[in-house]
Amino acid sequence: MPPKPALVAALETGLKAADWLSLRAVWGGGTMIFIAAIIVSVDVIARKILGISLGGADELSGYAFAIGTTWALAFTLLRRANVRVDALYQHLPNQVCALLDLLALVALGTFATLLARYGFEVAAESFTRNSMSNTQLKTPLWVPQGMWFLGLALFVVTLGLMLLRGVAALVLGDWASIRALFSARTIEEDAQEEAAYALANKEIPKV
Amino acid sequence: MIATTLILLLVLMALAIPVAASMGVLGLLLEKIYSQLPLQRAMGEVAWSASNEFLLVSVPLFILLGEILLRAGFAERMYGALIKWVSWLPGGLMHSNIAACALFAATSGSSVATAATVGTVALPQAKRFGYNERIFLGTLAAGGTLGILIPPSINMIIYAVLTNTSVPKLYLAGIIPGIVLTLMFMLTILLLCAWRPAWGGKRVLATWSERTASLAHLIPPLGIFLVVVGSIYAGIATPTEAASLGVVASLGLAQWAGRLNFAMLREAIEGTMRSTAMVMLIVLAAYFLNFVISSIGLTTALTGFIEGLGWSPAAMLLAVVIFYVILGCFMETLSMMITTIPIIAPVMFKLGFDPIWFGIMIILLVETALVTPPVGLNLFVVQNLRKSGSLNDVIIGSIPFVIALFVMLLVLSLFPQLALWLPSLAS
Repeated sequence: MPPKPALVAALETGLKAADWLSLRAVWGGGTMIFIAAIIVSVDVIARKILGISLGGADELSGYAFAIGTTWALAFTLLRRANVRVDALYQHLPNQVCALLDLLALVALGTFATLLARYGFEVAAESFTRNSMSNTQLKTPLWVPQGMWFLGLALFVVTLGLMLLRGVAALVLGDWASIRALFSARTIEEDAQEEAAYALANKEIPKV
Repeated sequence: MIATTLILLLVLMALAIPVAASMGVLGLLLEKIYSQLPLQRAMGEVAWSASNEFLLVSVPLFILLGEILLRAGFAERMYGALIKWVSWLPGGLMHSNIAACALFAATSGSSVATAATVGTVALPQAKRFGYNERIFLGTLAAGGTLGILIPPSINMIIYAVLTNTSVPKLYLAGIIPGIVLTLMFMLTILLLCAWRPAWGGKRVLATWSERTASLAHLIPPLGIFLVVVGSIYAGIATPTEAASLGVVASLGLAQWAGRLNFAMLREAIEGTMRSTAMVMLIVLAAYFLNFVISSIGLTTALTGFIEGLGWSPAAMLLAVVIFYVILGCFMETLSMMITTIPIIAPVMFKLGFDPIWFGIMIILLVETALVTPPVGLNLFVVQNLRKSGSLNDVIIGSIPFVIALFVMLLVLSLFPQLALWLPSLAS
């Protein structure tokens, strides 16, 4: 194999970094949601048994959910977990599929970029107007909205890196790399994963 | 306008553009073609409000609950106990497969998780007792679909969010159809075994003292059910709070079984976040698309068009059922619900169908989609658990149960009270 062009090598380093970051973002966001579940539970129990409400548990869990979701977008993308209808796709030749993979990245990129742009405006406007939530907590809204936007930004950057890597592969005629980057997950892959989780915890009952 | 939209959507989907991107891009295209106003500017606000919608917070919590329960390791003992209760019937362990699915469904909001969990413990038994392997596999794939009909149910939450219906009412509405469908699946096994006794394999007999002793193993799933579903009706918790309580209870259960550790939690959280982000990106795109569609007057045009057809409600219902059966063969089920329900449900409500009842019909159709090839996820999950033989075995074994699902759809259409009676008591 000929040595990789410097650009491709740089992009692959970038993608590795995005992968590293996206995994941390998932743990961070997931932990937030996990902690929110515990706070909400404590709130419910305290309210019913002790008759006191901590207040704001619902609001905080809403923020944790919003932030956790966008922080997981890049991870979902890198694991190719975005649902695609492959009824036609699976019957097409490899090179056509590779082109459709690139098209899929362009379409996702278009939508995600606009989402991030207008998401930024939401956070920026809350900041300049100093908007606060209409609740006991009086949360300065730009904080959760800003963190929510960071997830969208990571998503867009990751999409950009994948798209550039894909285009570079197209120029080099490296079809396999495009497929490896963003081929549609087959239902077989999804099922294998579910099965693997279940089997990992197997303990056969005695009958 | 209707034709253009439909063609654009079909082309985008057929090109395997991710569902979320298809919907987002469709929204942008419709704005370009039909709107004078810069509708896309609302995207940020629309997305933010969808992002912290309190009811949707329950979606990752229910997924997390399922991920933890899958790893908590009580399914084995639960299955063992159910064998003692129902496997004296002709068809033996196949009945405990269905019963275990129904009981696990009462703790889990996902059909795939139900099929995977029960399948893992049941499959090693299939050969030992000489059952017809195909039917045995069918009981697992089809039984698993009960996961979303018997509350809690992730799909019902999504339906509730999309149609502004009440989750507690939907949950109540799912209980009787869930029990009836469970019995119909068991009846299907009995009929098959009456027709071909050899398929029934060995029955398993147990004494009454063994049975009573085994009841202790049913406490964990019943406990989770009480925490997650009971707390809603006791007026203690909203669905999201109930899901939180469920997560905490399942952690306790996993700890008690000695299965709780850092690696297990990390795995559960990664799985949860990936599914959540996947679904939520589609939800965000759908909210934007629906905003565009109603702004340009497409919703009104569509309702007018369908009313102009002059079809009777019954004909319309039949058309919707056929539509979902076909679409369900090609599309992942949550994406299918999010893309179609905002359009179809208002039309059906206008024709006089009850929103709660229609929700249960949709859930039954989604269940059917999960066991019909080529994209029936439950079929593939069961196939992957056994790791040998052909997928066709699972498909063929599921056919009798797909027929049972169709009968159930007919029964529920003729007797809507099956779904509506319990919610009517509550209000």
